[in-house]
Amino acid sequence: MSRVIEVPETLDERGFEVLVAAVNDATRDGARPRVLFDARRVKWVSPYGLIGLLSVGQVARDRTGLAAGIEAPENSDVRGYSERMNFWQAASEVFDLPSIPGRPHAPSDALLEITPIRSHNDVHSVVERVRERAAVILESRLHYPKPAVIQFSVMLSEVCQNILEHAEATGWVCAQTYYWKRRLGREVVVLAVMDVGIGFKGSLGTEHARRLGEAWTAAKALEAAFLQGESRFRDPGRGQGLQAIRKQVARWNGAIRIRSGNAMIAGVPAWDDCPAMQSRLPEFPGAQVLIVMPERSSEARR
Amino acid sequence: MTGGLGPVRSGPAVAIASLYKPDLVTRHTGRAVRLSIESLLAEYEGHLLTVLDFRDVTVIDFSCADEVVAKLVLASLPEARPPRDRFFLFRGIGDHHLDPVQSALDRRRLTVAAERDNGERTLIGHVERHAARVWEAVCSAGRAPVRAVAAEIRLPEPAARAVLEDLYGRRLLIRVADEYVSLFQALAEAGAAGPRP
Repeated sequence: MSRVIEVPETLDERGFEVLVAAVNDATRDGARPRVLFDARRVKWVSPYGLIGLLSVGQVARDRTGLAAGIEAPENSDVRGYSERMNFWQAASEVFDLPSIPGRPHAPSDALLEITPIRSHNDVHSVVERVRERAAVILESRLHYPKPAVIQFSVMLSEVCQNILEHAEATGWVCAQTYYWKRRLGREVVVLAVMDVGIGFKGSLGTEHARRLGEAWTAAKALEAAFLQGESRFRDPGRGQGLQAIRKQVARWNGAIRIRSGNAMIAGVPAWDDCPAMQSRLPEFPGAQVLIVMPERSSEARR
Repeated sequence: MTGGLGPVRSGPAVAIASLYKPDLVTRHTGRAVRLSIESLLAEYEGHLLTVLDFRDVTVIDFSCADEVVAKLVLASLPEARPPRDRFFLFRGIGDHHLDPVQSALDRRRLTVAAERDNGERTLIGHVERHAARVWEAVCSAGRAPVRAVAAEIRLPEPAARAVLEDLYGRRLLIRVADEYVSLFQALAEAGAAGPRP
């Protein structure tokens, strides 16, 4: 039996939710179809959407025991972008991909191409690679002060380590700069980090599930980690990374969303309309993080 | 790691510890750096003042700061097992180090004496206002008995003594005979305050 899942034309946060629901539907009640992701009609894709596609592909593989197939986008812009972001290289480890589509391409203008996070060395390598580009993009284009480049490296390091320390799985990270014409009228840096591991509910569960029983939910786990700085470890030194990220993003007037299980928690700036907490989303393993850092306004620069 | 200049006027031996890497990121790296420093410090017996030099550290994240900074300081306290006469002084702390270092210390209610990259001498971490005043008085004097500190900040002697003892217990001052000595003074007297090796 096989199942075709059509990838939405716009593959962003909303498109990802459509894919999550479709994968859940395809694998309901232990069904194990061979899944084919049909991405031919995709017309626009964000960093979150790209690694979201890897994540749903990995989940389909985990649930069915079969690597899913994928039809590459036909739109030349999307195709070119996915090639420059090294999507197909990462996809070859997730999907049943007889050959890697695409051709050799010029160096990307991305802040950070899709990078798998499997070990602490990967985190080091990401921090080193991103420094030069971050300096150019954050200082020259988004008008952030010089220390922001280091703070961005710290944020990147912490959010990637979260995968290694808490997910018990590998994950992916990527970042890109955009001009957000409709939503903000300014340039933004978008950073996306995902894994399909045990999620916040599972990570903090050993401590809380026993005490709270059925009242222990993904939403409660996200609140505990994101707002109260709790961690799976009893050590008081743990859990500060995520809180530091939340505070730093708020100082930059940025947005942060963390989806895990069936919930999503967000740090919401005035320009965003995302609810601070959503708790009835389709269930999905691991954690999916989106951080948006907007260009500094001229008032903020003064 | 360099240093180990021997006791000066009954003060501590001094060691200057390199942090090895410009990118202090990940808890894993922090643990490795801390263990390297601890194994080198284990060669020293008695009072030891270790200078952690941050001048070549480009980036330090929160997890690494907890592993290196907070856990080294934690192990120097009298309640650590085994108890050790260890003091830490941070040098070259820039704005870009401050948030992670401050946060790592704060979460464990720890404090360290530091020299910022602009030369300012300060306490970082969990600091009470009255303790900071007493610490600053000793730093200004370099070394001082209880009586002099009490007079300087207009506190009764028993109260001043209690704060000084607390600062000594937190390894923010050294006690030599009947005097309290700032870590900067101990470093200067050991001749290790000059250009880094």
